[in-house]
Order: sequence, then structure tokens, then C-alpha cells
Amino acid sequence: MATDKAGPFDYSRKWSLRLVFVLGAIFLYLPIIVLIVFSFNDSRRGGNVIWKGFTTKYYEKAFGNEELMLAFGNSLTIAVTSTVASVLLGTLAAVFLWRFRFPFKPAFEGLIALPIVIPEICMGVSLAMFFSQMGWMDTSNRIWPFNLGNIIIAHITFSFPFAAMVIRTRLASFNPEMAEAARDLGANEWQAFRDILVPHMRPGLIAAALLSFTLSLDDFVVTFFTSGPSTVTFPVKIYSMVRFSVTPEINAASTVLILMTLVLTYLALRYQRLAS
Amino acid sequence: MEDAGRQPLAFAAFGLPVILWLALFFVIPLGIIGLYSFGENVSITEIKTTWTLDNYARITDPVILELFWRSIWLACVATVICLVVGLPMALVIATASADAKPWLLLAIMLPFWTNLLIRTYALLNILGTRGRLNDGLGWLHAKGRALLELLGLDGFGLLAEKFTPLTMLGTPAGVVYGIVYVSLPFAILPIYSSLERMDRSLLEASIDLGAGQWGTLRRVLIPLALPGIITAAIITFVPALGQFLTPDLLGRGQVDMIANVIERQFKSANDWPFGSALSLVLLYLTFILLALRAFGDAARSRRTLRT
Amino acid sequence: MNRFHRPSLSRRRFLAGSAAVGISLKLPKAAFAEGGKVNFYNWDTYIGETTIEEFEDSSGIEVQYDLFADNAELFAKMRGGNPGYDLIVPTNNYVEQMIEADMLLPLDHSKIPNMKNIDPAFLDTAFDPGRKFSLPYMWGTIGIGYRISAVENPPTSWKELLESDTYAGRIALMSEPTTVLQMAMKAQGHSLNDWSDENIAAAEAMLIAQKPRITSFAPDNGQDLLLAGEVDVAMEWNGDILQIMEEDDDIGYALPDEGGLLWEDTLCIPTGAKNIENAHVLINYLLDAEVGAKIAEYVYYATPNAAAKALMESDYTDNPAIFPSDEAMQKSESATFPGQERMRKIDEAWTRVKAAG
Repeated sequence: MATDKAGPFDYSRKWSLRLVFVLGAIFLYLPIIVLIVFSFNDSRRGGNVIWKGFTTKYYEKAFGNEELMLAFGNSLTIAVTSTVASVLLGTLAAVFLWRFRFPFKPAFEGLIALPIVIPEICMGVSLAMFFSQMGWMDTSNRIWPFNLGNIIIAHITFSFPFAAMVIRTRLASFNPEMAEAARDLGANEWQAFRDILVPHMRPGLIAAALLSFTLSLDDFVVTFFTSGPSTVTFPVKIYSMVRFSVTPEINAASTVLILMTLVLTYLALRYQRLAS
Repeated sequence: MEDAGRQPLAFAAFGLPVILWLALFFVIPLGIIGLYSFGENVSITEIKTTWTLDNYARITDPVILELFWRSIWLACVATVICLVVGLPMALVIATASADAKPWLLLAIMLPFWTNLLIRTYALLNILGTRGRLNDGLGWLHAKGRALLELLGLDGFGLLAEKFTPLTMLGTPAGVVYGIVYVSLPFAILPIYSSLERMDRSLLEASIDLGAGQWGTLRRVLIPLALPGIITAAIITFVPALGQFLTPDLLGRGQVDMIANVIERQFKSANDWPFGSALSLVLLYLTFILLALRAFGDAARSRRTLRT
Repeated sequence: MNRFHRPSLSRRRFLAGSAAVGISLKLPKAAFAEGGKVNFYNWDTYIGETTIEEFEDSSGIEVQYDLFADNAELFAKMRGGNPGYDLIVPTNNYVEQMIEADMLLPLDHSKIPNMKNIDPAFLDTAFDPGRKFSLPYMWGTIGIGYRISAVENPPTSWKELLESDTYAGRIALMSEPTTVLQMAMKAQGHSLNDWSDENIAAAEAMLIAQKPRITSFAPDNGQDLLLAGEVDVAMEWNGDILQIMEEDDDIGYALPDEGGLLWEDTLCIPTGAKNIENAHVLINYLLDAEVGAKIAEYVYYATPNAAAKALMESDYTDNPAIFPSDEAMQKSESATFPGQERMRKIDEAWTRVKAAG
């Protein structure tokens, strides 16, 4: 029964909640707006500090900066790969913990959560040491995208526990009777998983994917220690450029990255809409 | 939940990849850190594991303990703010129309696809004494004064004569602002995930039984969202403890947190054993937190079984 | 101290001239290794705008140019093993550390004939006797940047930042533990390499006492704060202050009477480098007179390359912020590596300073 008046649980239509949402959005977007505005700032060093006039030349500079573009490409590749793998691994972990009882389970739960806790610099250094011992440190003779392998491994390692946590939270609301019913009707393990569990998990999967993508795209510390020549990612490049000041070129580059990611996501959503 | 033994194949299928990955890419590197924490620098780059407790002993230094305490406190405050702000926002997204939903989710995540360092520098621009926030507050203040004058109420001390800008940078408030800023989507996503497709009949029943909006919120909605809220709390609180960039930039180096000390050990102090010990202590602390949560989970499931 | 400020841009003029020089700068290919690549790890905006391209054109060697932002990070990263860099640019005190840690390869001076261009003062140093492992690239000072209109007289002492309340609430220091403590030691009349327990304690006490008056322990953005008017005096690298002088005429730079810090960035080849031959070729190229001049013109730090300096114009060579007078330099010192044991004491003192208040 469609009504024009908001029902008692149409929270998204209550003005009070909408206000909170809008204020929250303003809070989140203020710095982004500053960033975008100052990317048009005609000042070589002033960065976000003094406005000196409008110019688009830093966008040209950003696009013309080959290394910056390469870093974009690397970041996106790593982020996408890491997200897919993290959600997969995270799903396995979440279902594993949710469904089974086994000895030492609390210890295992703690273990999976540890990558979330560990300070990034600690993880970066330990992985660097590990790769060094394994002889995987020198990536200069691997072809793309395998030279990004170390970084991707690192990203998956710190993202999938986040994914697992989020997905497991979603599983908490799953009604086990549905799975039993499916099995009574003759479905095997795989079918039950695919047709009953996965659809229920879907919001969790989406949330996990968004989280993993974000974690990977913006990671600096761990990536710094596991990267080498020609495996520069966008955050690492930015950090090294900010030594002197946040130049408008950096702001421009960041804005372009947002736009590109937005376009890609839009395309992905459209594709999904078409496919279903 | 079932015993592992009953479906060994499924157990292995789900468990093995995870265990192998963790073992190889996490446990072993962590083991290296563990060994370092019991070791000492024998030369600039070599660490020998002498099983010394010296590094852990250094953690009992009152300065270090104070930094730990301060970090926990700031992370707590930031987490609470994230939950209080995040719950309504997640609610809005979860109950929005199917068309709007992906866009709302995207809108929340988008700021976080900008580089953290640049966002933090932009925050500097906003939170400074001459920053945009104070500009805005100053404007509001001026309008408020004008209004009071108009109404003839300006002599009553309702609003201060001169606007004193908020000092956020270099204070714990600024650091908390920064941590909240960095953590908000991590709080929203899990809560959204557990509220999504919630059973409205429960909410309706509660209203029908006379609980009212607030009562429903308290006794039905929040318990429903509780797993999400707890996850949100954990994945907000824990990384907050590991923040070093925010205290450095927004705190102007005046509000050091424990992660700043850890970071220094791996960089300028070149004291990896001490840094490792500090990191492991952080791990132990969080382990305890998670163990508490596991007990809470177990207690809750025992309760539901009994009903 | 006099006012120092950067005069109007002569860059365009110089670049026009140097373009002509650049075209004629075709090095004989036969003299160098044909082809191959070299992985160059440098600081950001620390090379001429076209230097790398011109090198690639003239030598046939492909350059993979990556950036880093911090000596300590460089050291921490390379400690675990060289991920493939052939040429790095550490600062003098870290060179000492890396030599002690066997992280650098000895340079073959016979492959670097352009060494003759270097000012003899730089050819033998305490941190690398005989320049076996490093060659100078750029040098400079750490001193006080200030807003001319906000100070009565240009600052003449570190005490004005570290002890007095003249600029209370308008002071920015740096975020590097050793450097800030060193300046405190200088303010108290000690050498900045004299890390005795008493000196460290005294420096720590001075900083803790001054802390309420300090606005920021700025991680690399002290010059931004100065430019924005959030602080009036800042402890900063001379190059950073020179950059903002370009944006704002009201900014000055001074070396205090007690002296500042002298630093030198150097070219080194790390152990584990794969393209050692090509790295030598690149080093030699960077030490060429014209190439050095173009780099100096763009980067605007002091060049240790006497031949390059001879090609520069007077607004560069006479700029006291770039080349301080002998008198000003007299009391300034280079930092030496304190040794692991002292580093720990320094870090503990710094942790206490940062945690105080």
C-alpha cells in the first residue's frame, strides 16, 4: 500500500534523520570540496593555503605526468584484485566461523582479527622482512601485473579480516531453518550455499567490498614497505610529493582519481542492472 | 552451528584457504616481529633474539603508559561519536528506496577514495583559526548578534561580543575530529549491513504494542542492529589506536598517541625490538577486547537457546 | 642578519639559454654503457625539469624515477633488502649510518670524471672520508624562517624560538627528534653532536618548558604555516623557506648567531643494485657543470658543484639564504650519526617532550 505520508519506519523519509544524514554528508565532503576548489588554485607552492587565482593548468600537468598516471593504474589494479580476493577469503572465513564449532575456535577468531589491530608500520616492516627472506623482494624482473604481487598479497592480508567481520555480522541475522528447509528439499551443500546463503549475505558482501576497496586504494604505510621501483601506487606517490607542499597538481590528481573511480563504479552498477 | 566433524569436507573447503593464507602471510611475519620483541640491536641492522624482556620492561615507563591511556581514551571518544552519528546514517541508507541505496552508499564511500594525506591537509584548511569552520561559525555569530540587536536583546550577554574562534588544531578535539573523519564509513557500513532488509514486522509489532518511537528504538531496533554496532565499534576503535598521521598533522605534533611512538621506533629511532614489543602489547590489548566480545556472544546465544 | 628574499624570476631567461646548451649537450654514446636501465630513487622536485629526459636521450639508458620523502623511511625500507634501486640520495648523517650498516657500494671514481667539478671543500668529509661511498648533490642549512612584518628584528638566536616568549603561540618547530634537540643544544651553546646525558636532559627541559608557546611540531609543513600566517617564526630547511619566498615577499630567512645545521644530500649506490655501471654513468651526468647548473636553477638549493655554480647568475650565487656568508656559516655544523645507543636516549627524551603537557 503506497502512501505519500511517511510510515513510522520509513526512516529515510523522516526529516530529523535526513537532517543528520545531510549534516554527516557535509562533514564528510567539506575537505573534499576544499580539495577540489584548491586544485584550480594558481599557486605553485601555496597549495591549500592561499588562493591566487583560477587555473586549470594543474589538471593538464596531472594528466601529463606519466608517473602519476602509472601510479593511478597500479592503485586501481591492486585495489580491484585485492577487493575480489578479500571478499572471497572474507566470505570463507565468515561462514567458517559462523557455521562450525571446533576446538580452539576463540583463538582462531582472535587470530583472524589481528591484522585489523596490528599497527600498519609493524605489518609493513614484517611483510618486507618476510618477502626479503623468501627472496620475493626484487620485483623488477617480473612483468606487470605480477610485479604488484607483493603489494596485493599485503593488501589482501589486512583487508580480508575487515571483510570477514562485516560479512559475519550479516550472517548473524540468517535464519538457519531456511538452510534446513533447502536441504530437506534435496539441495546439496553447494546449492544451499549459493542459492540461500549468498543472497542473504549480499548486503554484507557489498559492504565488505566497499570497505576492502577503500582500504586498499588509500593504503600508504604497508604499500611503502612492500613496493619497489615501478610498483609505485598513488598514495605512495602523493606522500613523496607532499614533502614540499600540497601543490594544486596533487589536488587535481586526487580529484581525477575520484572521478575515475566514480565512473568505473557507475559503469559497474549499470552493467549489473543490465545483467539482472 | 554444527560440529566440524559432521561435515569435514565443507569444513575443510571453507577453512583451509583462510588458515593457509593467515599462516603464510600473517603468522610468519608476525612471528618475526615476536622474535624481534624479545631481541636487541646488535648492530645497526641486525637484531638478535636474546629472549630479553628489556623491551617489554620499557613499556612500564609512566610516559609510555600515559600515551597508551591517552590513545585508548581518544579512540573511545571517537568511536562513540562515530556510532552516534553512524547509526542514523546507516538507518537512512538501509531504509532508502532500492534506487537511491547504491548512490547513498557510494556517496558515503567517495570521500574515502581520496588520499588520506590530502584529506588531512584539507582538514587543516578547514579547522585552522582562520579556517572555513571558524569562518562559518563567525558568520553565524555575526548573524546572531545582528538578530539580537534587532530584537533589542544584545545587552543581556546571551551571545559574546566578540567571536573567539574555536581552536581545534593542536588540541585533542582536533585529533578526535580527524579520527572520526577517517573512521565514519567504517562505522556506517557494518551497521548498514545488519539493518539491511530488517524484519519490519518486529518494529511494527512493537509500535502496536504501545512502545512508541523511542521505546521501539531502544528495545527492538538497537538489539536488531547490535551485531553491526559491535562490529562497527571494533573496526572503528582498533584502527583509531593505530593513528599517527592525524595526531601529527591535526594535533600539530602536540597530541602524541602511542602509534606515533611505535612509528618512530621503526623509523628515526631505528629501534625495531622496542617497536615490536609496543605493537605486540597493542595486539594483546585488542585480543582481550575481542575475547570479551566472544564471551558476550556466547552468553547471548546461551540466553536465546534458553527461551 | 640582513633581510633575505628572492629576487624576481630569472628562470625563463636562464631556461631559454640552457635549452640551447642542452641541445648541444650530446654526450658521445660510445663512452657509455649502451642501453639498459637504472632505477633512481630521489626526493621530490629535486632535479631539473628536463634532466632525466636529457640523460635518457644522450646516454640511451632508461631511467625509472621514483620518489621518497624521508631519510628514516628510506633506511627502514632498505634495511630489509634492496627492492631494486640503483641510485639513492640520502642525507649525510644517514650516509654514515648506511656505511656502518654495509648498505652502500663503494663508488668507482675512475668512472666519474666529473668529480673534478666538485668544490674541493666537499671532497673529504667526516661522514665519508675520501667520498668512497657518496658524492655531494645539494647542500643547505636549517635555520629560522620568519615573517618580516611580524618581527621587530630578524631573529638572531634559537633562543627566540626555544626559550623566549616574544613569539608565544606563533612558533613552529620541526618534527624530527634529532634536529629539534640539536637546535636546543645549540641554543645552550653546545655542539649539536655532543650528545652527553646532561646535554640531552638540558635540551629536553628547555623544550618542555617552551612547549606551551609552541604552535606546532610541523611534519614538513612549517613553511605552510608561515605562509598562512598561523606562525611568525619557523625552524625550517632553507629550501622550503626559499620556495615560499617566491609566493610572498614578506618572508625572510636567517641563520642564528649560534649557527644552524649544515646538511648535504648525496648520491649513493646501495648494495644489491643491479645496474651499477649505469648508476655510475648517471652520477657522472648529474655532476656535469651545465646539468648541475640547470638542476640548481630549478631546485634552488645550494650546489656543491663549483663548475655548475660558476655558470649561475648572481641572484643565485649571492643569495644569502642559499649561500650563507662565511661568518654565518662558521658556527653551523654538520650532523654526525650519534650511534645506536645515543639514538635510544634521544628518542626517549623526545617521547617525553612530545607527551608533556
